[in-house]
Amino acid sequence: MSAASDALGRLRGNPPQPVATEIAHRPLDRRRRTLVQIGAGTALIAAIVVAGTVLSASAELTDLTARRLPPSLAHPFGTDWLGRDMLARTLVGLRLSLAIGTLAATVSAVIALLLAAAAGALGRRVDTAVSWLVDLFLAIPHLVLLILIAFAAGRGARGVIIAVAVTHWPSLTRLLRGEARRVAASDYVAVAQRLGHGGWWVARRHLLAHLVPHFTVGLVLLFPHAILHEAALSFLGLGLSPHAPAIGIILSDAMRYLSAGAWWLAVLPGLALLTVVKAVDTVGENLRALADPHSVHE
Amino acid sequence: MRRLGLLMVALVLAACTAADPVGAPQEGAGGEAVTELRLAIGGESEDGYDPTLGWGRYGSPLFQSTLLARDAELNVVNDLATGYEVSDDGLVYTVAIRDDAVFSDGEPVTAADVAYTFNAAAEQGGLTDVTVLESAQATDDTTVELRLSEPQSTFVNRMITLGIVPEHAHGDGYGRDPVGSGPYVLERWDEGQQLIVTANPDYYGEQPVFERLVFQFTDEDGNLAAARAGEVQVAVVPPALAAGDIDGMRLVSVESVDNRGILFPYRPSTGETDPDGNPIGNEVTSDLAMRQAINVAVDREALVEGILEGAGSPATGPVDGLPWYNADSAIAYADPDRAAELLAEGGWEDTDGDGLLDKDGTAAAFTVLYPADDSVRQGLALAVVDMLAPLGIEVTPEGASFDEIEPRMHTTPVVFGWGSHDQTEMYNLYHSKMGGTDFYNAGYFADSQVDTNLDLAMGATDLEEANAFWQAAQLDGDGYGFTAKAEAGWAWLVNLDHLYYVDECLDIGSPQVEPHGHGYPITAGITSWRWTC
Amino acid sequence: MLAGRLAGRAARLAVLLAAVAVACFALMEASPVDPVDAYVGAEAARIGPEQRALIAERFGLDDPPLVRFGLWAGRVVRGDLGTSMIFNAPVTQVIASRFAASLALMASAWLLSGALGFGLGILAALTRRSALDRAIRVGAYTLASAPTFWVGLLLLTVFAVTLGWAPVCCATDIGSDPATASLGERLRHLALPAATLSIAGVAPIALHTRAQAVSILDSDFVTFARAQGERGGGLVRHRVLRNAAVPAVLLQFASLSELFGGSVLAETVFSYPGLGQATVQAGLRGDVPLLLGIALFTTVFVFTGNLLGDTTHHLLDPRLRSTSRRRAGRSRAVEVHT
Repeated sequence: MSAASDALGRLRGNPPQPVATEIAHRPLDRRRRTLVQIGAGTALIAAIVVAGTVLSASAELTDLTARRLPPSLAHPFGTDWLGRDMLARTLVGLRLSLAIGTLAATVSAVIALLLAAAAGALGRRVDTAVSWLVDLFLAIPHLVLLILIAFAAGRGARGVIIAVAVTHWPSLTRLLRGEARRVAASDYVAVAQRLGHGGWWVARRHLLAHLVPHFTVGLVLLFPHAILHEAALSFLGLGLSPHAPAIGIILSDAMRYLSAGAWWLAVLPGLALLTVVKAVDTVGENLRALADPHSVHE
Repeated sequence: MRRLGLLMVALVLAACTAADPVGAPQEGAGGEAVTELRLAIGGESEDGYDPTLGWGRYGSPLFQSTLLARDAELNVVNDLATGYEVSDDGLVYTVAIRDDAVFSDGEPVTAADVAYTFNAAAEQGGLTDVTVLESAQATDDTTVELRLSEPQSTFVNRMITLGIVPEHAHGDGYGRDPVGSGPYVLERWDEGQQLIVTANPDYYGEQPVFERLVFQFTDEDGNLAAARAGEVQVAVVPPALAAGDIDGMRLVSVESVDNRGILFPYRPSTGETDPDGNPIGNEVTSDLAMRQAINVAVDREALVEGILEGAGSPATGPVDGLPWYNADSAIAYADPDRAAELLAEGGWEDTDGDGLLDKDGTAAAFTVLYPADDSVRQGLALAVVDMLAPLGIEVTPEGASFDEIEPRMHTTPVVFGWGSHDQTEMYNLYHSKMGGTDFYNAGYFADSQVDTNLDLAMGATDLEEANAFWQAAQLDGDGYGFTAKAEAGWAWLVNLDHLYYVDECLDIGSPQVEPHGHGYPITAGITSWRWTC
Repeated sequence: MLAGRLAGRAARLAVLLAAVAVACFALMEASPVDPVDAYVGAEAARIGPEQRALIAERFGLDDPPLVRFGLWAGRVVRGDLGTSMIFNAPVTQVIASRFAASLALMASAWLLSGALGFGLGILAALTRRSALDRAIRVGAYTLASAPTFWVGLLLLTVFAVTLGWAPVCCATDIGSDPATASLGERLRHLALPAATLSIAGVAPIALHTRAQAVSILDSDFVTFARAQGERGGGLVRHRVLRNAAVPAVLLQFASLSELFGGSVLAETVFSYPGLGQATVQAGLRGDVPLLLGIALFTTVFVFTGNLLGDTTHHLLDPRLRSTSRRRAGRSRAVEVHT
């Protein structure tokens, strides 16, 4: 069916066209599917945030008579060694991760945007400096840099947030810088400069406007990394107090009781984290599809 | 905080150091003699194994011998000493030592070494606390005179815990290469990872059956993992992890005087600081009614059941169950109503309707710190937080490392632990002179009546007399004291049992009642351990 | 010519290391950790004020930051990275021995994830749009969102605790001397951490390879080859594999930085005494000399990886060997291997 026609179509320079029968069998077209996925992902994340907020008090409540219970109707995720409900704890932890992830991703994305805009608009030397700065940050393994910064920032929640916020901009900067340079080299910018408008004016009017969609997508795609890195730092013990419900801490706690057979302490919260990260990633990928259809290849 | 699976035993310096013939462990299945034991019981002495600097201050210093020792029933028996006499005024202890003790380098142990050890320890001050010693002198090769500056009823404990070091081999670096006359010799110490010791062939006492001991320094999780993997024969575990069975091992619960409690800053915050500049005082815990109410409100049985899994007992004071315990000082607890009464009588009420009690503009809210790597203390902190919340007291738990706790412990309650066979601990914890010394009286507790009783107890020449004063310090006839009924300097919570997974083939005799950690208390009777398979 | 390029690279490395050193040093300066405490560590309680003053003098801690940096940098250049507070051994020694352990782990995971990822990617591309392809894609996307340490925990639960097929921790059996440990023993302990690390690295390379292979399969020269009658295994081997391998290898080399990060997590879950675990220890316990040493070392490591990647790229891709060969008008999807 399609392979040959696709191949021939490609030779002719046309994208593969769906055959009539294919259209009839496809329930949703690609655009609608994209929108649905974005909606579903966002709804899931919103639900978790709401649940996490509502349950934050009950997540901390110890119940010494209900320790280490396996999953049941009353406690769908079981309870931990102090009798705390694991579902509530997980949801609060996810909300914490999302909060830290949002903050960190936003800060990183803004840094990336500013640097990329500067690189594009302020001339070659700034561009080289930015490029060099990106290389410097990428020279050390990410987790090592995170540990360094978390330690230097005094550890605790503050250290983790600062560390995650300050280390996620390099790859986005590269991407945005590429875009910025393309725009900077384009005709209408040349015209603007010919008309006498200075660097920052160009940056604001043309660059930023062009970069915003990429920035938005990039921010959302930074999210999963930020969340996972926060979880990693918490897991290693560099973050919040050991009783805080951060998912990383929940998982490192769970490690001790694995040998006692309490598998639900590790499997379920991890699965929940995976779901949230996947949801955010889905939203991001679909946003990117919307913003830049060329980026979607099979 | 969570130290997760940390520094492990894998030797890393092997390639660089001379090849020590560290052979593979010998373990036989039936028939073959087992001569090596591997233990995961923590207790690495990071500062080294120098008794004059505090190693072994809870007893049984493994590499060195002590003048006296405690047997399984905690009776005081001779070890290096053959006997001792105390002068009538309690100032001079004349000790006779055995003549056949030899250091691991071949030199004989003489009274001069004993004198040197005591003098050196006195000079160091701090953790070994032999400050009452005026001078130690060897009158001949086997007799030494210990002269005190004032009588101290608890001095006998020094003779039980201070390991004797050789005068000719003691100095900087001794802590990493300790020469002693104890049952074992240090073969190898990979800091943070493992300690390997071998039996001392010249030991004057009973030769231990096990020629080689490997102590691995892993955290709570690592110890359990090693036990499950069959890689160690003895592993200490916190109660919450002692839930499952391990093939080939049995769970041994050893009674201990190890306790846990919450230290309260005693002074109000007035801007005072300690010599290092750390602030002192807490507006909430300096209130007597608050401290007493907290003591009354906490359900200690629930803590023993829930956090200790039953491996322990409730405690309302630091010396519950010991011979110098004053049973009158016990309080009724788990009584939130009575606690609410105490608070109301003390002037605490919710004047601004925010659900929290307040008094004179101070809200009943404070932070409690717990050492981040200790799950028992974390559990105790969190459980107590939940017990106090209904009363309108908002306590915020916070995990921190000991480095972080140290500067904050004068202003913030901390979940600490103590517990010793030595009565001196009461003096250290509650005498006003000990305020701000090391971790002892970090709350700056000070009560003149308590001070008087503590001084009298220390200075007593007779143990019976001393005990009477110790008990008076806890609670005397006039209602003064440091316990919960009176000044309530602490909220003592529980006495722990120490839980060990022990190999089924290993007979560890009957372990003595153990003191607070930091060391290898379970090895006190190591020379009598046997392999029964 | 190669020598010239290498010299250029070496210069770049030197500049990079210098920049990293300055940045990390500045970071430590900004941290709230007391520098004397950082150098003295556990002894802190026992050190009297005179001794603290001595230490401060010896490390120049009373001097302005620039002087201090100069002193430290001078020592570093001479190969003296200081003494690790935790291990009480020279930092260089700690890094060397710990890295030896990590190398085994990272190398095996690198090879495994490369081979597995590449294979899965090719398979997915060849069976495009089938259930297998979907499964591989969904699996890869899911794995990419999974925390590495959680995967490790799962493996630990299933294979070590429940099934007992692998040991629960460490690099060798307890109490034994690693120098005398057998290869079998080492491999047994290496299995799960390596598996964890491999799984973490499989997803990107599988997806990327799949995309590459798909575009190759759709490209002109493959269509041409098909039109000429090439089919099946031969087609795959000669046209697809080699062309897809080049970007895959590049990606693998570029992923060395991520690999080290993953090894930090894997080593923590399995208590494997490698450099990653030492990094965590250093961060938790504030071992400043060791942290700085590791930062510098890993920079060299990543740089070397990138260098190897570029070199391999040059070797594998003749188009890059000489720029003069590039001719305008030639289609990108040029067949480079016959």
